[in-house]
Amino acid sequence: MQPEFDDVKRFLLNCPPFDVLNDETLNACVQQLKAIYLNEQTVETLFKQHSPALYIVRSGGYDLLLPNGHLIEHLEAYDLFGYPSMLSGREVKNKLSVVHDGIVYIVPERVFHQLRRESNAFEQYFIRAHERRLLEETAGSGVLQAGQASRRREPIANNQLDLRIAEVIQKAPISLPSTASIQEAAQAMREHKVSSVMVVDDERMVGILTDRDLRNRVVAEGLPFTLNINAVMTQAPRSVYGKQTLIDALAVMTQYNVHHLPVLDDDDKPLGMLTNTDLMRQQRSEPVMLISALNKADSLEALVAEAAQIPVYMRTFAASAGHGSAVGRLLASLTDTMTRRLIELYEREHGVAPARYAWLAFGSQGREDQTLSSDQDNGLLLADNLTEEQLQWFAGLAEFVCQGLYQCGIPLCPGNIMASNPDCRHPLDGWLARFREWTRSPTPKALMYCQIFFDSRMVMGNKQLYNNYREQVAKLGQSEFFLGNLARLQNNVSVPLGLFNRFRGTESGKDSDLIDIKRYGIAVINDIVRTYSLHAGLTAPQTLQRLQLLQQSRLLSPRDNQALGEAWQFLTQLRLQHQLEVWGTDAAKNALDPDDLSTLTRRQLKSAFRVIRDSQQGVALKFGRGGA
Amino acid sequence: MFTAVEHWWQRQQQLQKPWQQQRYIAFDAEMSGLEVKQDQLLSMGWLTMRPPVIDYGSAHYHLFSHAELDLKQSPVVHGLLSADFENSSDLRSSLEALASELEGAILLCHNITLDWNFLRRAAKPFGIRFKPLALIDTLRFEYRRMQRQQHHIERGSLSLQACRKRYGLPDYNSHHALSDALACAELFLAQAYRYGATEHTTTRSLAQVSRR
Repeated sequence: MQPEFDDVKRFLLNCPPFDVLNDETLNACVQQLKAIYLNEQTVETLFKQHSPALYIVRSGGYDLLLPNGHLIEHLEAYDLFGYPSMLSGREVKNKLSVVHDGIVYIVPERVFHQLRRESNAFEQYFIRAHERRLLEETAGSGVLQAGQASRRREPIANNQLDLRIAEVIQKAPISLPSTASIQEAAQAMREHKVSSVMVVDDERMVGILTDRDLRNRVVAEGLPFTLNINAVMTQAPRSVYGKQTLIDALAVMTQYNVHHLPVLDDDDKPLGMLTNTDLMRQQRSEPVMLISALNKADSLEALVAEAAQIPVYMRTFAASAGHGSAVGRLLASLTDTMTRRLIELYEREHGVAPARYAWLAFGSQGREDQTLSSDQDNGLLLADNLTEEQLQWFAGLAEFVCQGLYQCGIPLCPGNIMASNPDCRHPLDGWLARFREWTRSPTPKALMYCQIFFDSRMVMGNKQLYNNYREQVAKLGQSEFFLGNLARLQNNVSVPLGLFNRFRGTESGKDSDLIDIKRYGIAVINDIVRTYSLHAGLTAPQTLQRLQLLQQSRLLSPRDNQALGEAWQFLTQLRLQHQLEVWGTDAAKNALDPDDLSTLTRRQLKSAFRVIRDSQQGVALKFGRGGA
Repeated sequence: MFTAVEHWWQRQQQLQKPWQQQRYIAFDAEMSGLEVKQDQLLSMGWLTMRPPVIDYGSAHYHLFSHAELDLKQSPVVHGLLSADFENSSDLRSSLEALASELEGAILLCHNITLDWNFLRRAAKPFGIRFKPLALIDTLRFEYRRMQRQQHHIERGSLSLQACRKRYGLPDYNSHHALSDALACAELFLAQAYRYGATEHTTTRSLAQVSRR
């Protein structure tokens, strides 16, 4: 009777990529295994007598060393090694040293090749592992759990809010020149079965006309249909850019209570029209309802009451969202909406803003990678030469909004990076003076500020004022001296792998086994990507968007660019899953125990940290020479 | 007579060799009860181990059906169901196969007396004799080691599972003759390398440590 090894099979099923093999293949594999007891006396024989082969650590701990004795990796249960020599055909040169005795399974070369032939997924895993591309399979599809390795990305309703607007609009805009008659406009709407037309002169959008305008402004007023449409259209309507997401569009629609949004490309040319029906079609109603409820709240109390539902709602949303970055974006959008609503509430009490301004979001809100535990980072850019009275108005606004956000559940910034702090309210010159000081004398504190302040977005206010500020700030960020210091700073954070590729806890006390994946992962990637972006003079604050804009960069290779993006997405997703798990407990929000992770996730986490470590060295090499 | 003496002499020589140069048969059997006189062998599993390597390809597993067997009170003994016995092996040929593998090899079991007595009794009607070079009992080895190191030996602390745990070996949860034989082989390697032996320890001295 055919002997079976249930315990060994169970182990292999938890050890990707063996989980992709069918039962028959797995049995055949197990029956051709050898197990070796490895200790100081026997370790020499492994590569001498049983090579080449795939080795699987069943128990014990071992260090894999380069021929010169440098440690490459610490190996523990579920780790695989030895396969590169079979894939490359090169002789095994590395050495192994025993830390703890244990058992290692040997899959002989013949069996390994047989398995590769039988399963494409098995083959692909090793090719990716060999090329250090293990993170690729998670890109966009979330963290894979052991046993689910074959799960593919599926469209999830909520996820759609994350789409770029340009991907959603279906056809070119129905447009007419401003000299067309009202009747022509109505005929065009009938012909194309649309409820609005865009008014375009010389490729520039000058207005829109909707069927509601026909009713309210033409029929109800008794105007003749022969008039030019520019007499009744809405001039310079709210618009969005194709590269923005549906969440952004949603926020604009509910904030201004409009149902039609002209969509423009980067050159301000019309791309199409987005309607609220398009939005409804794309997603479940909850985020819409939440944003619109926030927008409708007509008192601080009402806003606070609506905001109280966000954590509960986010939990459902996060659990069904396709990837972690969607959650960060939605949270940022909710915070933006609350901010705008608070500004409107303040204006209702104290009159409209007495001068041009821009409300700035920094840090995680700016980057749109907010979590529920992220605190406020904001500021005010003011017009020049304000009177004392006008300054008082803005001081009052800042106090009201920051306190309001706090009541809505967004913690106050412990470092006081908030518009309510006079240091965070400046006209253009004042801000530029601060940035200049940080970039010219980069003390550790100044550099820390830079990691927050260089990631900015305007939430509300005057676009021109903001764009001018943003461009000048970007120029200051291109200083080689400054970048050199920034490069050295990010290189000082050591990835929790140490030299041995063994996980190293980053926390102290009873949490010493935990790894803070925000501080030692996500934040480091943000820092690395920021450095490249500043050098390139980019003004976008979002890490993924920055990477996309950096695709043409000569400094960051496409491969490293992709690896950084994948590592960032993986870590963001992992953090989200962790936060969902520890929800409502007082467990650390950003720190997790690698021992609690599935085998594949642990390997991917190591992979992500390796990507970070390599990129840190790259940044240090490319920029580190500048500076003091 | 001369051949018998020569045979004996060869065996003694063989036992003088370092323990790593021997061939071991790790063995385990499941029985319908603990009474050699009335209970029967239900299954047995074994595999070959040449330190420090265990070859899974050498594994054997046999189930035996017994006309007179009512599986006692319970329909399930050692996780075996009546249905399993439909794939049963022939007792005689299985024992012959084992006997030929044991020739010149060392028999390795956890709590060897039980297995050894059952084996001999089952083999007797067929005139089969087992002639392993030596018997090694991992339970006995562990008992002697703990005694020598003056550990307090608690009840249950000598089970295969408990012994493995002390050496940091993985948990195996199936109670299956082959799985236990494998578990026993791994345990012996850990014991021998850690406590029993230096590079040149002879098989004889190792076997004595673990003999009854």
